[in-house]
Amino acid sequence: MSVANGEISREIGDINLAYMLLAQKLVKQDRVAAMFRLGVSSELADMLASMSLAQIVKLAASNFLLCSFRLNEHASMSAVVGEGKDTMLQQAHMSILMSARSLQTRKTAVAA
Amino acid sequence: MTRKSVLGEVREVQLAIQLIQLGARLQFLESEVGLSRERLIRLYKEIKGVSPPKGLLPFSTDWYMTWLANIHSSMFYNMYQFMKIHSDKEKVWILIKSYKLYLQQIAAQDSEPILDFTRAYTMVRFFDSDMLQLSTCCRCSGQFVAHAHDHKSGYVCVLCRPPSRAGKARGAKRAAAGEVAALGIEGMGFGVETAPGGTGLH
Repeated sequence: MSVANGEISREIGDINLAYMLLAQKLVKQDRVAAMFRLGVSSELADMLASMSLAQIVKLAASNFLLCSFRLNEHASMSAVVGEGKDTMLQQAHMSILMSARSLQTRKTAVAA
Repeated sequence: MTRKSVLGEVREVQLAIQLIQLGARLQFLESEVGLSRERLIRLYKEIKGVSPPKGLLPFSTDWYMTWLANIHSSMFYNMYQFMKIHSDKEKVWILIKSYKLYLQQIAAQDSEPILDFTRAYTMVRFFDSDMLQLSTCCRCSGQFVAHAHDHKSGYVCVLCRPPSRAGKARGAKRAAAGEVAALGIEGMGFGVETAPGGTGLH
């Protein structure tokens, strides 16, 4: 593995760790609000809350990013980013799309 | 009704305090909190320092259709729905929770809340009684508050296709208030009940 590759892995690991710690903090503070913000199911939220630091560190040390794009369609992404849209509107739009998104995955999961 | 217990009463008072702080009107308190009207009024005065406002609750669905109000209403209702699906708490709790989330979101955006607590609650009732619905925007696939039984196909939301004068009337709350007043659909005191097709805004 080249040096550059090792550096990338470390950076990914750092982000993973920060993300996992933040996620756990949010869940411990307020479970439902955390589910809303993170877009995770209640099972996952409970799991996050119960993870030990050692488990988190182990999981974070990876070549893969643990968090992923939540605006996973080109159409919604470009609608939110839009040209010349001001911050307030962009945030509002994001909020509307995000809360509905988690509902959508839930619905399809039930239907399947 | 259950027998009066001291703890139960404390809980009711705490609920009332929270609701009053969020800006709930007396009519709402009376229907959601098991305390006498006199005690609610006294609580209200102690917390707010003024008598509870008199007059009717807003009753027109048109308010939720104006540009900025629609954005805020959609934001709130999406949160409310999330809470409703993902928590098994009672309705008042869900309402309080999602309204607080809405306020947080607004604070994070550095803007002013357009949707007050009474409007939020009224909107939930409009949804329950099938007067409002969520329509899915065909461009961004977000869900937005719309009149019930509106044609759903080809709907484009107010964020993907803002009305031409939307950007000019900025200035947050004052502009929105002015806009609402200008359209004469405040609906707080008295007014014309939503005339079918009469006050259509778009």
